[in-house]
Amino acid sequence: MAVPASVKTALRVAQVLESIVSRCLGPDGRQVLCTKPTGEVLLSRDGGRLLAALRLEHPIARMIVACVSSHLKQTGDGAKTFIIFLCHLLRGLHAITGKEKDSLSIGTMQTLERHWKDSCQWKFISQALLTFQTQILDYTMDHCLSKHFLSIFSPSAKDKTLCGGSLELLLGAYFCGRVGRNNHKFISQLMCDYFFKCMTYESGVELFELVDDCFVELNVGVTGLPVSDSRIVDGLVLHRDFSVYCPAEGDIRMVIVKEIIQPLFSTSRSEFMLNSEAQFQTSQFWIIEKTKAIMTQLHSQNVKLLLSSVKQPDLVIYYARLSGISVVECLSSEEISLIWRIIGLTPCELPQTSSQCEISNTALVKFCKPLILRSKRYVHLGLISTCTFIPHSIVLCGPVLGLVEQHESALHGALKMLRQLYIDLDLNYVIQASDQNGRSNPLTYKNSQKSNQLPEISNDSILRSHQNIVKSKDVCENLVVSDVELEANIPCSIPEVAPRDTFQTNKAQRCLSPEKNKIMDDSELLANSTDKSTTENTRIEISYENLQVTEIPRKGNLLPLRSKSLDICYHSSSVPAGCVLPVGGSFEILLHYYLLNYAKKCQQSEETIVITLIANALLSIPQTLYKSKKGNNSFPQIYLSSVHALQTHQPMVNSQVGLESVTGKYQLLTSVLQCLAKILTIDLIISVRRPPQKNCDQDSEDEL
Amino acid sequence: MSRLETKKPSLCKSEPLTSESVRATLAVLKEIVTSCYGPSGRLKQLHNGLGGYVCTTSQSSALLRNLPVTHPILKILTTSVQNHVLCSRDCGLFTAILCCNLIENVQRMDLTPTTVIKLNKHLLSLCTSYLKSEACGCRISVDFSSTQIPLSLTHSIITSKPACMLTRKEVEHISTLILRAFLLTIPESTEDPVILGQSIIVPGKGQRVTDSTVLPGILIDMSEVQLRRLLPIQKPHALKVALFCISLSGDFSDTGEGTLVVPSGVSLENAALDQLLNLGRQLVSDHVDLVLCQKVVHPSLKQFLSSHGIIAIDRLGVTLMESLSKVTGTQPIGSLGSVSPSSYGSVKEVGSTQFGSKHFFHLIPDKATVCSLLLCSRNDTAWDELKLACQTALHALQLTIKEPWVLLGGGCTETHLAAYIRNKTHSEAESILKDCGCTQAELQLMAKAFCSALESPACSLEHDGGEILTDMKYGHFWSVQAESPSVRNWSDLLSRCGCGLLSSQEQLGWSFLRSMHPPFAPPTYLPCAAVGLAAVRSASSLTVDCLTAKLNGLQVAVETANLILDLSYIIEDKN
Repeated sequence: MAVPASVKTALRVAQVLESIVSRCLGPDGRQVLCTKPTGEVLLSRDGGRLLAALRLEHPIARMIVACVSSHLKQTGDGAKTFIIFLCHLLRGLHAITGKEKDSLSIGTMQTLERHWKDSCQWKFISQALLTFQTQILDYTMDHCLSKHFLSIFSPSAKDKTLCGGSLELLLGAYFCGRVGRNNHKFISQLMCDYFFKCMTYESGVELFELVDDCFVELNVGVTGLPVSDSRIVDGLVLHRDFSVYCPAEGDIRMVIVKEIIQPLFSTSRSEFMLNSEAQFQTSQFWIIEKTKAIMTQLHSQNVKLLLSSVKQPDLVIYYARLSGISVVECLSSEEISLIWRIIGLTPCELPQTSSQCEISNTALVKFCKPLILRSKRYVHLGLISTCTFIPHSIVLCGPVLGLVEQHESALHGALKMLRQLYIDLDLNYVIQASDQNGRSNPLTYKNSQKSNQLPEISNDSILRSHQNIVKSKDVCENLVVSDVELEANIPCSIPEVAPRDTFQTNKAQRCLSPEKNKIMDDSELLANSTDKSTTENTRIEISYENLQVTEIPRKGNLLPLRSKSLDICYHSSSVPAGCVLPVGGSFEILLHYYLLNYAKKCQQSEETIVITLIANALLSIPQTLYKSKKGNNSFPQIYLSSVHALQTHQPMVNSQVGLESVTGKYQLLTSVLQCLAKILTIDLIISVRRPPQKNCDQDSEDEL
Repeated sequence: MSRLETKKPSLCKSEPLTSESVRATLAVLKEIVTSCYGPSGRLKQLHNGLGGYVCTTSQSSALLRNLPVTHPILKILTTSVQNHVLCSRDCGLFTAILCCNLIENVQRMDLTPTTVIKLNKHLLSLCTSYLKSEACGCRISVDFSSTQIPLSLTHSIITSKPACMLTRKEVEHISTLILRAFLLTIPESTEDPVILGQSIIVPGKGQRVTDSTVLPGILIDMSEVQLRRLLPIQKPHALKVALFCISLSGDFSDTGEGTLVVPSGVSLENAALDQLLNLGRQLVSDHVDLVLCQKVVHPSLKQFLSSHGIIAIDRLGVTLMESLSKVTGTQPIGSLGSVSPSSYGSVKEVGSTQFGSKHFFHLIPDKATVCSLLLCSRNDTAWDELKLACQTALHALQLTIKEPWVLLGGGCTETHLAAYIRNKTHSEAESILKDCGCTQAELQLMAKAFCSALESPACSLEHDGGEILTDMKYGHFWSVQAESPSVRNWSDLLSRCGCGLLSSQEQLGWSFLRSMHPPFAPPTYLPCAAVGLAAVRSASSLTVDCLTAKLNGLQVAVETANLILDLSYIIEDKN
């Protein structure tokens, strides 16, 4: 069965999603209770989780959810805003094209035919959207918006030192949207305290990386206590109890083992011949003596704590107790790797043959004691850190497990957001320059893993020819894009080769790319695509002299670019790490204002239309945020006062306290535009009743 | 992969609390918990239609565990109460009643959830800071050098569980036993930190409650014949004990991942037995008197040991091991090789005890902090209930020794706190309004809802249609029997307040609890300053509650209510 896809359908789907999501947005958003088929109850305000829990059936809806999830994987924030913004873009598109259609529509035209015509038009718009994203957006970000950016780092220090107040504001704003409103202040304060306790003066992004990677091991959930009992404890809390606990004072050393300490009769793939009863007894005696010797050895080296990733036999436990060594068994590999990252202690190899051998891999611990949380015992270790992270653990309390989990995932999301904030965001764009005639300016583009958009050549004739090509290969493109599992960043990594006079070769070149798209999956194929495109590039450069290649391989390859015959200037700049803007729609209002200004200068009508569309849709976010506010805080008031401030070059007023990351907002915008472009390129939805084939795995759905 | 099914879409309901069915189910739950509350609470019988175990109870832990709830909101509510009970043991019903009433009261008003949650949170913080402050007029400091208040605490807890089916005399007996058992677990030495011992509850079903008793040490259940065989030995000195945690049955488990090749003719069983007998010889030469083993002891070794006058008891199970190692003052032995002399422990003496048809081997320690509480009851269901009540009381005592304060019971804390909040929201309205950013009217509405929810557990104490009054000075709880003639002079009808501190002879003004009365400032000192705590003669006349449990219950109830009120959608995944 095939159903024509249209903006109308997409809009209907998006509107349903919007109505659900908008009630959870912002500081006044409310909670959603999700039940799992297993009977578990989950509380959430996280847009991604919510969309996944809905288990939508509609193909367009599933595609949107897949786009959101791939966006979340990257940034960990903005799922709800994504939906609202997308919905408004669709609404705007629907309004514009509604008018155009009236003039176009011919009564006798068959519906399907008209539909095909429409989808060509969508295709056109979708290309214009991508062009906007790669040219105008980066330009506006760099030239206009950047002067409004604030930084989270304290201005006095040279290197990146977090400013306490800004971090508090940033986290406060983040948790406003993630945690129930009776707890967000408390949780954000907890997180702030956690960072300042964990940080040394030289901690940087690696701190966030470590905490983000090992967050599960760094927090303990306790149910049945009020949330306000949550706290931060010094040291590391392991999620298990001691097998043996011997109180120890002073100089405590610890070792980690990954195997059973007691020697066994036989190891795997070997045979042990027992010839007599006496031999059996002697070997058992030897085993006992050996175990005893190892424990004595450990004791003599002042080892008071033994961490083991496996369960140790009774014999080992007994001798450990006799030697006054505390034992913790069954540590997970994650816990061991966390300990390794904090103090650099690796599991030690035990001497199997020689009787006396120094064990080198020991580390000093400050303390090691049981921690009792709600009548359950945990191991509490005071590690002496050798890296920039001072170990602390968070004890998260809540009346029900669902709430504890919500807080945990919100904290984890905040870490992801902070981690992103520490990375510079690259902006690449092209502007037409009048005075740089014919000068070849080799430019090196170093592409970070984030900027997956492709700079295009902003020469309108080239653009035209490019669009022609696109139209001619509609079918191929559709095949590729209608696959829901495709990642959002795929269409833009097609190498754009667009000289005017070599139109035919272009076409050939173009034909290759859809094929490549098909096989391209998320990350495993990145290397593959990089290889392929570079080889293609070199080949192209050799064979065609006046060919423009502006392909950016995603793995940071350096590619010299030559512009020989065109007056083009490439700009590459970046949004520095730690850039923030006040919350409450500042980013959206600013971008809206500057985009409209840009549109006024534009000559082309299509471009103007697209820019106006995006600029107006941007306003939907502050509109939703201020929906319930009245008086001076209502949306029109805020909007008018900010625009006035911008026009008169005064600082913008803001009633809300809190900051948000610019990088996050920028990435959100690009993700939404790509999602929209993807939706627009679909013209037909074919539902297949066959069970899914083996090769198309459903990763993106499961990972939400 | 052959059973691959497409997932059905979830069901999404908006504004779940406004639906009539949800309100109805919440009301049913409220009815159930309310009717169970207090000493005169009604019992619930829970049974499966297919037969099987019937549970008669009025305690939240048993009730909620067996009550099947399907609606997600109720699930959240009951899980949160159950988690609280797991944590603090006591005040489960209080939490449930408060939470249900708060939700219901708020639902009746037309306020936005944001305002409600903000105000709820603020009022809660007022309550907790008041209860924790020195100036709290409803808490009593506990001095463990006198038994009066600890005894009142256990007494109040046992009385509030009517399903135990105890007479007044039995209640007194049991509460004394619990306190004694608790005191036996406190170590004599004053090292820091103090580690409390254990009281093990031993079942003695089918006997009179007054036969229950507390014994120091550990009781091991054993058949009479076995006991007769073991116990002719009388030693004048303390007994040397070896406690094993490994099996002494001659089996060998850990042989590694490879293969073990044994030629025919070589008998590993013999070798293992030889080893065991060697161990036995060592035990004999070390003058061990008692061998205890968590797992099985080989019959030959048993025979060998008993021929040398050593008592051997096996199959003790892992649950007893910790207490056993505490009683004997040693760590379990995990080696079949030579036993180091330091791993032997000792007990003062051993004996036998008989309760009804049951025989016990009794280990009496020198000064260890382990005791056995032999709990008797006539039938199984009552015993289960009594056991839960005892555990609750023991835990409440443990919490109280950590935080040596108790709250007034019998509904007085609730009414007093409500009076305090009413007065506070009236007198300090400006500062609250500034903090929460709401209007005066919203604050008054919310304070009314909150206070009436706070009073609801107190009102639930009355199940027989009586009237509930409060005095206008201390804000305590007073109840009058039903069908009393309407008189002006309340002091003739009333005797004592809920907690038993105040008597009606003092000239206090009374009014109905639910009626509108002007807010008054309850005094920030205990009424006992006026009455004198000494006036309260017996433990039964004073009712107190555990502070930690009640405070936790209060916080959990308000937080859960806030959580439920904040719900905008329910997404049910019906796969």
